[in-house]
Parts: sequence; C-alpha cells; structure tokens
Amino acid sequence: MPGSDGKLREITRRTALGALGLGIIGATTASWPRLTGMDIPGRGDSSLSIAIMGTAADAAARQRVIDAFSKVHPEIRVKVQAIQAVDWKDFFTKILTMVAAGTPPDVVYVATEGAQLFADKLAHPLDEYLRRDAADMKEYFADVHPSLVEAFMYKGSLFQLPIDWNAANMYYNTGSLRSAGLERPADNWTHTDFRATLAAMRKANTSDFTPYYWTNRLFGGVVPWLYANDTSFLKETKSTGGDWLWTTFYANDPSRSLRSGGYQWLEPNATDPRVFESFDYLRGLVKDGLGVRPEEGGGSSLVGLFASGRIGTTPAGGYWVQGLNEAGMTEDGFDVQFFPRWRTQRHQFGTAGYAIMKTAKDKDAAWEWVKFSASLDAMRLVFTTPNTTPSRRSMVNEQLYAGKGPRHWKVFYDTLDRFPTTGPIPAPPQQAAVETALMKNVSLAVSGDEAQLKQALESMQRDLELALRRQA
Amino acid sequence: MSTATSIRPRTRSAAAKDERHPQRWLAWAFLAPTVVGMGLFTLLPIVASLALAFFRWDIISPPTFVGFDNFAEVVQDPTVRVSFLNTIMFVIVAVALQLGVALALAIMVQEKLPAWLRVFFRSAFFFPLILSAASVSIFMRYLFNEQFGVVNWLLSFVGIPAVPWLTTPGGSAAVVILVYVWQNFGFSFLLFIGGLASIPNETYEAAALDGATGLRKHLHVTLPLLSPTTLVASVMAIINALQVFDQPYVLTRGGPGDSTRTAVMVIFESAFQRLEFGQASAIGVILTIIILAITAAQLRLSKRFVFYQ
Repeated sequence: MPGSDGKLREITRRTALGALGLGIIGATTASWPRLTGMDIPGRGDSSLSIAIMGTAADAAARQRVIDAFSKVHPEIRVKVQAIQAVDWKDFFTKILTMVAAGTPPDVVYVATEGAQLFADKLAHPLDEYLRRDAADMKEYFADVHPSLVEAFMYKGSLFQLPIDWNAANMYYNTGSLRSAGLERPADNWTHTDFRATLAAMRKANTSDFTPYYWTNRLFGGVVPWLYANDTSFLKETKSTGGDWLWTTFYANDPSRSLRSGGYQWLEPNATDPRVFESFDYLRGLVKDGLGVRPEEGGGSSLVGLFASGRIGTTPAGGYWVQGLNEAGMTEDGFDVQFFPRWRTQRHQFGTAGYAIMKTAKDKDAAWEWVKFSASLDAMRLVFTTPNTTPSRRSMVNEQLYAGKGPRHWKVFYDTLDRFPTTGPIPAPPQQAAVETALMKNVSLAVSGDEAQLKQALESMQRDLELALRRQA
Repeated sequence: MSTATSIRPRTRSAAAKDERHPQRWLAWAFLAPTVVGMGLFTLLPIVASLALAFFRWDIISPPTFVGFDNFAEVVQDPTVRVSFLNTIMFVIVAVALQLGVALALAIMVQEKLPAWLRVFFRSAFFFPLILSAASVSIFMRYLFNEQFGVVNWLLSFVGIPAVPWLTTPGGSAAVVILVYVWQNFGFSFLLFIGGLASIPNETYEAAALDGATGLRKHLHVTLPLLSPTTLVASVMAIINALQVFDQPYVLTRGGPGDSTRTAVMVIFESAFQRLEFGQASAIGVILTIIILAITAAQLRLSKRFVFYQ
C-alpha cells in the first residue's frame, strides 16, 4: 500500500501480530459451533436427535418421513444424524463413543445385534407408552408377527417396535439350478437335499463357480445351520414377564403360548454334539469344494458375485432383492426358498427398530417419533423399494417386488408363519464379544480335520465363557 | 580502559534485557499453540489413560477404582497373551523385510538408475505410504480372496491351485505382513536414499583401490557408514510395527482364530466392543512399556554397532 511519500508502507511486527491476532479471533468465532460441538444435531436446541446407520443420503431419504411427522407434530423438531459404519457392531461402537463424549442421540435405530445391549444399559422401555396408547397401537401389532416383537422384549419389557426385518432364507441362482438339471427345491427340503443340489451344481458348472457362498458373521453364517439342527452356540432360554403385552395385543394369535418376556443367552453351548454335527456338515461342504471357506465379516462383494452367476446359493433375506436388481439380475434370474430342514426348520432372523435412550431430553416426544415411524403411512414412505423386509405383513406384497423378483417373495413373511419358533440372532448384551468369540473360531473349525474342528469348538466355548462372564 | 570495561557489560546487559523481554514473550506466543495442543491432546490423554488403567469403566456407569486388577486380568487373558506374541513375531518379520527391501531398493535405485528414473522411483516407492491403510487393505482383501481374487487367478496360469490366503493362519499372517511391508517400506527407502547420498565417493574409490567391489563393497563400506541411518529407520519401523492395527483389522479381523490379532486390536476390542476401558488402558500401558524398553535397548546397542564418520 503506497504511503504519502509514495513508498510502500512498511508492515511492522506489531501490525503483523495484530493481523494474526484478528485472524485467530475471526477463525475461532467462525468455527465456534464446531469447536464446542454445538453443530451436532439436536445439541443446543430442543430438537429430537435421531441416529441411524447409513450415509448422509440415507438421512436425506428420511426427510419425507420427517416432513410427514412435522405435519402431525409441528411442536416437535426432528434432526436425523446418519452414522456411517461397516456393520452394526461398528455402528454401536460409534453410538457408545457419542455417549462417552456426552452427546448421545435421543433415539437410535437399533438392530437385533444390539437390542439387548441397549435394553440392558442405554434404552428406556416402551411399556408405559404402549399401555397408554394401546388403542392406537392395536392396528400395528395386528400387522406385525409376534416373533419380531418378542425379539425386542428384554426381561419382560418391550424396548423397540420392529420396523424392518430379514430372515436367513436360501437364495439360489435359477440359471445354475437349471444347468444342473434341477427344479426349484421343495419347501421342506433337507440339509442332505441341499448338499445334493450343491454337488449337482458343482458338476454342471465351471471350476470358478461356487455352489454355496456363506459369510462368517452372526447373521447368515453358521447360525442358521445351528438353528435348523435345533441347537445354537449359546444356550437359549426365555425370561418371564411381558404377559400384559401378549394378552393385550396377541391374545388370539396361534403362537401366543410360545411368547415370553424375551430371549436370554446366559451360557455357552459350543461343545454341544449338535453344534459339532452342524459344523462338521459345513466342514464337509468346504472340503468337497461345495462351499467356500468363509472370511471373517465377508460379504461386501456378494451381490456382485451372485449377480454375475458365479455363486449358486447363499443365505440372505429380503434386503438383497433391490441390490440384485440394481446389479442387473432379472426377476427370473434368482429365486428364494426356505432354509433347508434338519431336525427342525427353525430360521434365524434379524430385525430393527427405534430405541429411546434413557438420556433422551423429551421421552414423550421420542415416543411420538417411534409410534409415528411404525405407522403404515410412515413405513410406506420409507420402504419404497425391496432393500429390506417391512415388519408389517400388509406391506410385503406383490407391489413391492413387482418387476424385480423373486417369484416366490411370499417365502419372506411365510417364514414367520410357517415356522413360528423362528428366532432372532443370538445377541446378549455382550454381543460384540460374543460375535468375536464365534467368528474367530469358525474359519478354523471348518478348514481342517475333525480334531481341528473339536479344538476350535473347545476354544469357542472358552472364549464364550469369558465373554459371558464379563457380561455378569 | 578499565572504566570502559566495567561500564560496557552493564550497558549491554540492560539493553539486552530490554530487547529479550519482548522476544521471550514472542517466543512463548509462537510456542503456545503447540504447547497447549501437546498438553491437551498428548500429555493429558497419556496421564488419563494411565489413571484409567486402575479403574473399571464401561462409559455408561461411573468408573470404580480396582487397583491392579485390570493388569492381573490382562496378563491372565490368553487372547491378550497371544496378541502380544503375534505382535512380536510380526515386528521381527515385518521390520526385517521392510528394512531389507528398502535398503536393497535404495542401493539399486541410487547406483544403477539414471537421475531422472531415480526421481520417479523415489516418488513411486513412497506413494503407498500416503494411501489410507484401510482403503489399501480393503482393496487387498479383494485381491487375495480365495475364490474370486486376482492373485489366485494369476497363480492358476502357472498351475498353482487356489491358495486360502485369508482363511488359514499361515496365509493370513503372510498377507498381513506383505500388505504392511508394501505400504511402509517407502519411508525407510527414503531414509536410506538420504543416507547413501551422504556417503562420500572417495570412500568407495578408496575401497575399490583396496579391492572391495560388489557385495563386499556394500558389506564393508555401505552398511557400516549407513548404520546411523539404519538405527533411525529401525527405531521408527519397530515403533510403528508394534502399533499395527489397520491391516489385520480390515484384512482378517484378527483371524482365523487369533492368528493375526495384534496388541492394538485387543486394545480396540476391549475398549470399544467389550466396553472395558480400564483393561484397554492397562494393555496400552503394557504396550507403551514394551515400546520404551525396546527403543532403549536399541539405543544402547547402537553404541556398539553404529559408526559415525
């Protein structure tokens, strides 16, 4: 800048420091909301903060529901925060970090994997609200299978309303089946029929084809086989209580007598002979080249591989349909059948719904969101494509799967009706430790000889004992 | 003269005092952000995690003091013991490979390649280091998939059947080491390039006159003169390798079994999956002590094996 004498004015140290100071003050002021965490959704105002697993796009997709909710409850402001995570375990870790940081959300969308963790430590029961609004809620419960509801019962109280769910059914590639000269398997096909199907597929296809692809995780891994063989790696019991809910909403349901105050997994069961038998069956599939040796937590590339015709069968739920469609599969290119029968045909399922946090600022407002989200209107806004299975029976219809398949989409909800003992993912409050104990031993169990299998199951038993003891 | 001498220091001292004060103030002003940052984000967490090691805390309930219980439980936990053993084995193999590959490539690039290619390779070998370890590991996970991976597909052309890279203990350990070394050798490579450049040509010429060429030249001239660089490279490589997490976590989740579970993975699992923050801190304290001990041992040994020109 020229001075009066025409020379450039010298920038003194004082001027420079002053400018620096002003810069720091300006930057601090501008970023104050970030520095203090005031920009965290719901913080610093009375908004209801809702955390879901997903991307910013998933949060934006909820906008139509928020708009609809705002029309009904203009007094309640809602902010949805999408949290990206690899899987549910990762998502819960991030929620716990938010709790530790003193910025917990008011409502969290929680899947079965974390239902008991939240119920035990973080969530507020819905009982008082359900009793109060029983008349409004009858329509919801009449449309939702009690097995899904029971999965969210914990020690006699209900903590979540199921919004969506998926069972581990068996997807198959129709082209691979046809090339093996096979027809659609029967509804009550057995584990031996399944093995014969895989062997026929193996014979009819090229060497890079995999007849059975499965993943090493709590859902869709080894657990569906354990359930079909009437066992599990954890001893399953049920707690008492909750009669008021079943009497109020499911008094005339044929499976009423099966219902309880919630599942309990208190002891390990990995050394049960039936667990050994189930693992040995899978070991046989791997050994004979009929099934893959599962990677830990794998499955991210599964849709693409299945759609490219390189996989014959895999366990999955209704959440797969949209992905397969987007990957280019026609509605005739794949189909779904019940999981094969062994001693039983009990399936495994996972479900999800909103949980109100104990720390929620306004629990009444949170309940209004939970109730609204379970309404038919809200669920119609959310589930426009088959990227999961809605918990409401009336929504699992021809319209949802039109033009996308599978032909036998009724299998999805029929799983609950045909097999009412179908149970949730075994996930006690220490789900993360339990899942790690299971996953880390599965690959070893199915990769070697019988002695290695026995050793892996004994190791799993020890790890589970440790995980569950920590729980106590 | 004597009068002048007695006055001058006083005058200087007074002037210096006047000048130094604002400079001291300025120095502190410039240092303050770093000092405050270090205090808040490095020192405080270190002290807090040291204190936390004596408490049981699950984030949700208030912490309770348990004395040395966390340390006792951690020491008895077979998973923790295996993970520390895995980490030590990993450090031995990965650091040896990392330094070996980096040194060999540095000598090759420095000696055999023209100047313009040297610049290219310096950047090319450093490039993996700036990539996200998680992204690299996800990518590698696809490459090493037993059924559908490119690696097995390529091996099939030479008649090698599909290798279960990520589902057997040996295979998964090999892949974790391979991916780690591939991503990290670039830093040691750059250090060695710098070290090699500082060795005077005259030394090699003198060695050549004495008949030392080829491998002997490197054994008797390059390696001893490069020992200060090797010391720095090995200290940094060992400290980094002891903290390995991303590659095993993304590639294998520590499996199969506990075959690729490392100390930092157990810290993460204890804290964020089992909600045992006290135990996680206790493992962290033990790991820190091990890192300090190994580094101290290295520096002590360096007195014998490091030669300065």
